[in-house]
Amino acid sequence: MKIVIIGLGGVGSILCDNLSRYLNYSDIDASVSLIDGDFYESRNGERQTFTRLGDKASVKCTELIHKFPKVSFQDFNEFVNEDNISSLITENSIVFICVDNHVSRKVISDHCQTLNNITVISGGNEYTDGNAQLYKREDGKNVTASLSEYHPEIEYPEDQSPEDMSCEELSHSEPQLLFTNLTVATIMCWMFYAVHKEKDVTKHAEVYFDITSMATLAKTRNSKN
Amino acid sequence: MTETYETLNDMTVAQLRDIVRARKIVGYARKTKDLTIKAILAAGDGPSMTKPAVSCVTKPGLTHTQKLAETAAAKPPTPVTAAQFKMSSVLTKPSAKVGDKTTTTIQVSCGANSADFPVEGKTVGAVQEFLKEVLNIDRLAEGQVAGASVETSYVLKAGDVLEFIKPAGSKG
Repeated sequence: MKIVIIGLGGVGSILCDNLSRYLNYSDIDASVSLIDGDFYESRNGERQTFTRLGDKASVKCTELIHKFPKVSFQDFNEFVNEDNISSLITENSIVFICVDNHVSRKVISDHCQTLNNITVISGGNEYTDGNAQLYKREDGKNVTASLSEYHPEIEYPEDQSPEDMSCEELSHSEPQLLFTNLTVATIMCWMFYAVHKEKDVTKHAEVYFDITSMATLAKTRNSKN
Repeated sequence: MTETYETLNDMTVAQLRDIVRARKIVGYARKTKDLTIKAILAAGDGPSMTKPAVSCVTKPGLTHTQKLAETAAAKPPTPVTAAQFKMSSVLTKPSAKVGDKTTTTIQVSCGANSADFPVEGKTVGAVQEFLKEVLNIDRLAEGQVAGASVETSYVLKAGDVLEFIKPAGSKG
């Protein structure tokens, strides 16, 4: 099983820890690619799980190799873009999108729609609510809607890729809540479990949550294409 | 003999209760002395009590319908110049038995928030405005019925499921 985790921030760092633990103690022969071009700094400590400062992908990769020896890990210290996306995401992968911008989601979504067999699990959040989406494509046909089909904000992103941001912009990020990141990561794990166990995912292709009203709601997302 | 508060107050509680029972004043057999006296005075149209604004003269031998007809004939109806009413909606459980459902409800959701509302016959735009705070609906959120985009002028009908698509979370 080829697993690609893109983005190792508040959601990605929590997700890869727990997903790797699951993989290590299951009978799955898994290889996990960790992708992030950012650095872990001490100010990220309130939401992110790293044991030392440095390149997020490298630091996390070293941690996980020692903790979960049955799983194969690779690190890529780069942000995804149109130039490197085809080499980072290949056929028959399960892709976890944990990035913090819609530009990157759009790049990944567009690329995955050109593949024949791919599963994409994408999560995102605001301060106390968020969602996760599951895009599955089999034999060149969409089983569920792509990430952007129901979400024009992903199809026409108004934010910036981290590659296009200045150091000052990168260092200034909107406040986020650990619990919200944790919920996104958890729902993404639910989706992975459904895919792994070959459950019918079409009726749960998008899951919303709101931690202030303590609610989750799953939605069907049929593809119109 | 004219009964006053003072004359009645001089009587014992037992005597007052006898009067109450004799005059068939219901519900005052166990009340306090003060309340019992007032009830006796009211029933007997005593001088210390205020008279009702509209006196009701009963005529023995007439049925209730006949009394109403007589009253209506005596007082011609006043034309209605204005009407005031209050509308309230009651949510019903979708899982309730058919006989227990009082209204047709439509499931409306936005993000993780969802509920059934009696909005059959309303337009999507009106529902969006009406529920924007309840469901935290964004002004630009697109309405979809059964997964298909609809205009704000679309009129909801029984069986529709309305979703206002909440934008995907951008952070992570």
